[in-house]
Amino acid sequence: MIQRVAIKIDGMIIRAPKGTSVLDAALDYGICIPHLCRVPYLSDIGACRLCIVEHVVNGRSKITTSCTLLVKEDMVILSNTEEVRKLRRNIAELIVAEAPNSRAIQDVALRCGVKEVRYPFRNSDCILCGRCVSVCTGRFGVKAIGFVGRGNERRVETPFNMRSELCRDCGACIDVCPMAVVPCGGPMKTGEERLCGNCEPKMAFAEQTPGFCVWCDLGEGFQCERYAMGLRK
Amino acid sequence: MTHFKLTSILEGRRSQPHQLIEVLQDVQEHCGYIPEEAMRTISKELGVPLTEVYSVASFYKAFSLKPRGKNVITVCTGTACHVRGAKMVLNQAIGQLNVAPGEMTEDGLFSVEHVNCLGACALGPVVTENGSCHHHMNPGKLRKLIGTLGSRPTEEGSYEKNQYHQ
Repeated sequence: MIQRVAIKIDGMIIRAPKGTSVLDAALDYGICIPHLCRVPYLSDIGACRLCIVEHVVNGRSKITTSCTLLVKEDMVILSNTEEVRKLRRNIAELIVAEAPNSRAIQDVALRCGVKEVRYPFRNSDCILCGRCVSVCTGRFGVKAIGFVGRGNERRVETPFNMRSELCRDCGACIDVCPMAVVPCGGPMKTGEERLCGNCEPKMAFAEQTPGFCVWCDLGEGFQCERYAMGLRK
Repeated sequence: MTHFKLTSILEGRRSQPHQLIEVLQDVQEHCGYIPEEAMRTISKELGVPLTEVYSVASFYKAFSLKPRGKNVITVCTGTACHVRGAKMVLNQAIGQLNVAPGEMTEDGLFSVEHVNCLGACALGPVVTENGSCHHHMNPGKLRKLIGTLGSRPTEEGSYEKNQYHQ
């Protein structure tokens, strides 16, 4: 029998199976916490930092990633406070400035409420979310690619930049990559990057009911777990 | 690196993935860098995927993936050393040896590196040569140091390094 614990997210008491993360529990109950680096059913690494929530302990709140926070009895989580929204918007802004050339990233930035980008666009090919690495190690257990280097030299690479013998050409790393989702208007050239913002009308509904999943169609772009589970066709 | 030496380093550590860093440290100490061949052997013998060996080796600054010279000259370019002229000291080393930072000279005698802080800010500018520390460096002192190191017979290189310790 599955043991369940009662936790409180945004004032709502939900009963989540023991051992799941706060993000899992919230998504199960239709509470939308934006997330990007998470691959459904695999262990989370907390790389993208988009799924931050406020965790209240003894009247003090601590901001942490909900995907690496496991549910505990009588936990109090606030997922949609002013502070969280501000930080989340800033993180999304940095991500979209790093790699604007993807519909998935543009969508997640819109979902987090980014209206303008204050940082210079870099137009790089990778935001180091680690989805490809976790699908390669977690689902297939082959470890053909991994993180190499440290700090600003960190990158995803095969050993010695050669094709790994372990690679089975399954292509899963490309399937989960947010950069593989091309923007609607085609790839942007260097110097022409912008915040897309075409889907902004869709967000009106989400603003009326903040924090709840509104089946916003954005999930298809950034592979929200609810789409992965096939809850909606 | 001889195959025999690697075998003796791996002795008693085979199939123990948690020994990875210790093995890499021993290889680094023995050859001054970590050759690709050694990484492949370690991956096979310890049962760690090659990607993981490569990630660990490239993550830590203590491991070098490129061959290093007999004498490694490390210039501290931290804040305190920088304001006291570490840039000139580094330029002296680069100009005298005709080598870029992080590279090895063609004869394999020297390599020049720079680090962000050695933790001896009161003694700056600091230069370490093969692990021994030289304080209050200036381009002139470094030129003499490189001169003595270069003229030293290479066989006894590692035994005499304490002579320069201050």
